[in-house]
Amino acid sequence: MDITLPRDLEAALAAAAAAPDATILAGGTDLMVGVNYHGVRPSAVVAIRRVAELQEWEDRFIGAGVTYRRLEAGPIPGLAQAARTVGSPQIRSAGTIGGNLGTASPAGDTLPFLAAVDASVVLRSTAGERVLRWDEFITGPKRNARGPGELIIGVRFPDRLPRRQAFAKIGVRSAMVIAIASCCVTRDEDGTTRVALGSVGPTPIRARRAEEMISAESRPTEATLTEFSRLVADEVRPITDHRSTAEYRRYASGVMARRLLERVLS
Amino acid sequence: MAESPKFTVVGVSERKVDGRALVTGKPVFAGDVELPGMLHVALLTSPVAHARIRSIDTAAAEAHPGVACVLTHHNTPAMRYTTAGQGAPEPSPYDTRMFDTKVRFVGDRVAAVAADTLSAAREAAALIAIDFEELTPVLSIDAALATGAPVIHDEDDCLDVWDAPHNVVSVIGAKVGDVAAGLAESAVTAETTIETQYAQHAPLEPHVVLSHLDPDGRLVILASTQVPFHVRRIVARLLDLPIHRVRVIKPRLGGGFGVKQEVLLEDVAALVTLRTGRPARLEYTREQEFVSARTRHPMRIRVRLGAGADGMLQAIGMDAISNTGAYGAHGLTVLSNTGSKTLPLYNKAPHLAFDGRVVYTTLPVAGAYRGYGGTQGSFALETAMDDLAERLGIDPVELRLRNHIRTGETSPIFEELGEGRKGTPQVITSCALEECLRRGAERFGWAERRARTPGAGALRRGVGMSAHMQGSGIALVDMASATISMNDDGSFTLFTGSTDLGTGSDTVLAQIAAEVLGVGVEAIVVVAADTDLTPFDTGAYASSTTYVSGKAVELAAMRVRDQILAVAGRILESDPTGLGIVEGHIEGPQRSVSLADIGKRSYYGPDPAQIAATASFVPESSPPPFMAAFAEVEVDVETGLIRVTDFLAAVDCGTPINPIMTEGQVEGAIANGIGYALTEEMQFTVRGRNRNPDLARYKIPGAVDLPPMTVMLIDSYEPTGPMGAKSVAEIGINGPLPAIANAVYHAVGIRLTRPPFTPEKVWRRLREAGV
Repeated sequence: MDITLPRDLEAALAAAAAAPDATILAGGTDLMVGVNYHGVRPSAVVAIRRVAELQEWEDRFIGAGVTYRRLEAGPIPGLAQAARTVGSPQIRSAGTIGGNLGTASPAGDTLPFLAAVDASVVLRSTAGERVLRWDEFITGPKRNARGPGELIIGVRFPDRLPRRQAFAKIGVRSAMVIAIASCCVTRDEDGTTRVALGSVGPTPIRARRAEEMISAESRPTEATLTEFSRLVADEVRPITDHRSTAEYRRYASGVMARRLLERVLS
Repeated sequence: MAESPKFTVVGVSERKVDGRALVTGKPVFAGDVELPGMLHVALLTSPVAHARIRSIDTAAAEAHPGVACVLTHHNTPAMRYTTAGQGAPEPSPYDTRMFDTKVRFVGDRVAAVAADTLSAAREAAALIAIDFEELTPVLSIDAALATGAPVIHDEDDCLDVWDAPHNVVSVIGAKVGDVAAGLAESAVTAETTIETQYAQHAPLEPHVVLSHLDPDGRLVILASTQVPFHVRRIVARLLDLPIHRVRVIKPRLGGGFGVKQEVLLEDVAALVTLRTGRPARLEYTREQEFVSARTRHPMRIRVRLGAGADGMLQAIGMDAISNTGAYGAHGLTVLSNTGSKTLPLYNKAPHLAFDGRVVYTTLPVAGAYRGYGGTQGSFALETAMDDLAERLGIDPVELRLRNHIRTGETSPIFEELGEGRKGTPQVITSCALEECLRRGAERFGWAERRARTPGAGALRRGVGMSAHMQGSGIALVDMASATISMNDDGSFTLFTGSTDLGTGSDTVLAQIAAEVLGVGVEAIVVVAADTDLTPFDTGAYASSTTYVSGKAVELAAMRVRDQILAVAGRILESDPTGLGIVEGHIEGPQRSVSLADIGKRSYYGPDPAQIAATASFVPESSPPPFMAAFAEVEVDVETGLIRVTDFLAAVDCGTPINPIMTEGQVEGAIANGIGYALTEEMQFTVRGRNRNPDLARYKIPGAVDLPPMTVMLIDSYEPTGPMGAKSVAEIGINGPLPAIANAVYHAVGIRLTRPPFTPEKVWRRLREAGV
């Protein structure tokens, strides 16, 4: 196994260019599980943990190397709430937002927030930079559009983030648990509402019909809340696996979205 | 209740005698030790649930670089034995071979490879070619009992299996009066059937063994075991060695919870050492700890209760079927305890019956696990009691108060149900359950919280409770002994065969010795669990150490004290009967003499003679600790999520020798029980493979999942115990499952009978009930 340990971004890009199919190692919270438990044996690894540039966080841009621990303590409430539900303190100190995108698991805890605010993913290689919207970047379960020789540099948010944000996830215990379903709801002063869900489809899912309906309601009634919940449940595309059934995930999605909506409305 | 005497060292939360070494990371565990020339052993386990081994080819493995020895059924002893680390003769069937020609569950042993490095051993194990003739797996109690079910133990040399052709390991029955008639005469009856899951002990330290030959060619086994003397006996028999050619040492242990009351690795490491002459280390991976070690018996239990309108129980019937998995270790005794640790609690009922069957399946092997069958039985009984209370219109606490056993009373069950045979008649010599119920209810705010309405929103609150008993050791079966010798500085060395698994029992025993000898705990050096050095002790199981081993220590210490006082009497020219040891001194009429003086004199004179004594203790009864458990839950009726928001346990364990460690035992057991109730379950595929053999997918609760816990230690004094003590290791785990289930019923009106109560399962039940 060929392991490169670049100390700055230029060296990291050069390493990625030299080994275009290399596996990128950031916090290792996903990769090392693969190595230790699932026989993953990458032929080449570029370890980017020492690259200082990737750990920068400037207002609406978060470097790929920013850990859940920092997100948890950061100023963006939806993202902080999501980061807080990741693993254990040890995992949150190691795992990164770039890694969450790189793995692109349907259960990735930060992804519903990124989807809800229409974040973009910044990719760079020695050939140049590309910026892809989250849904252009995440192409399927554990699949993304990162090309050979490219590194995820970070996440860029729109200039304005919705004022109210809320995140929740359902699992069988509170810590160290992979979501059965997760959800992020945001709402702006003008009523614009966004709903994104994780673990209930091949990629994070936006419940667009529910968003459209509820965004038009300045003062949602009990009936519209119920209808919102129904629309969300209708729009998710869950599967049955060892953690849960599709039926429960669909139902729980509606319940969670409604509760988060009530939270952002209050 | 007897007035409890005043103690100075007992009843004090002394620091653990091994605490400093543990927290500073000293190499105190079996896995910390490396010996020159040490081999590493890898186990090859079965990938299929049920198969005959047609052939096994080890040539490639043997030729692999670094490999020293390969063991299979071709070159290992064929005799049948049980892995259950119980006293001889073990009340478990001899249905196991070191390496068999048949595999009976995914994870069953097939071969072992010893090599210079662990990776070489694992690589070589992967080179072993096996031709399996696959047989139909048997994956449930119903499948095991079905007509024409595959016969799991079809070998002709297994011993003490009740009905192997029908997969029935054991049958247990106890009958007092006539339950059918009792139920028919009852004004009110209740019935419940529960079904529990496969659960895992999850000790921090997996099983690990290091064996080697000492300079005299004797076999030395350093083992993570709860039962060093049983390991010595069982390994000596298997490997055809005289017992005295084997030495077993138990170093510090990273938890046991019953899973280390089994001989699972010692025989293999020892045989490698005998074959090669080299030290050998064998350690389970976490996955092997899940699938190849032991689990909790899943059980299906039906309880029927009948009571008069006054709430006095008339009849209790309990029928239980236990799934012991592929081998019968602890099968019979665990199921006996399902009845014997529950039915005596309500001794007012004249009609009692217990009917039990233990069956084989081709799933992982169940064994001893904290609570030992009482946990499952108590879930069934205590949820049925809750139902009965409602039907009677009597408060659940009040129903228990009217019916529970009291000091001076007995139950015919003590005699009817023993450890796989008849038991021993027993009169309760201490019982503060009434105080546990009353004071626990008061502190918990039971009456007020019970009267509150659960609410109509998504989150509904409810409270539930349950009452419990366990035991302290096994009457007329256990034996513990201790030797105490005096050193020339007036300190003492306590030699005990008992096994501290991380419970703190070495500290507790030191406190008992110190109390009798009038010294501080720092004046007691504890040497424990080494079959060459320490006298016999059956081991740490069945909540035995504080009560049984503790009594042996107390008796030995009293003999040593008598010897000291005799010497002091001569020095002080005083009658020894009037003397006592206080803070290391013996006060005579004119002057005093220190223990240091006496210690020095015992070595160097005048009249030197070693001051030392050994004592043994065989308990004539197994005095139960008692507990009242109270839980508050919040049920999310939209998602099915249950949150335990408060838990209180009021416990009578006699004198708590070390109160903070006693509370810790109870808290740990409650956490253990909450996991069992809400999240823990070993799940299997349709081919019998465990789907979650790791701590990421098998969900034990973390600190954030646990509610605030209150442990109240209720005053009582057990006259037969050391300084009034009973044991407390297991009882706590029995509370959460029924108390939480009863609280859920109070909150949302559904009776949960199949743990774990995961959100989706609860959500489905709520929808069925139309909540």
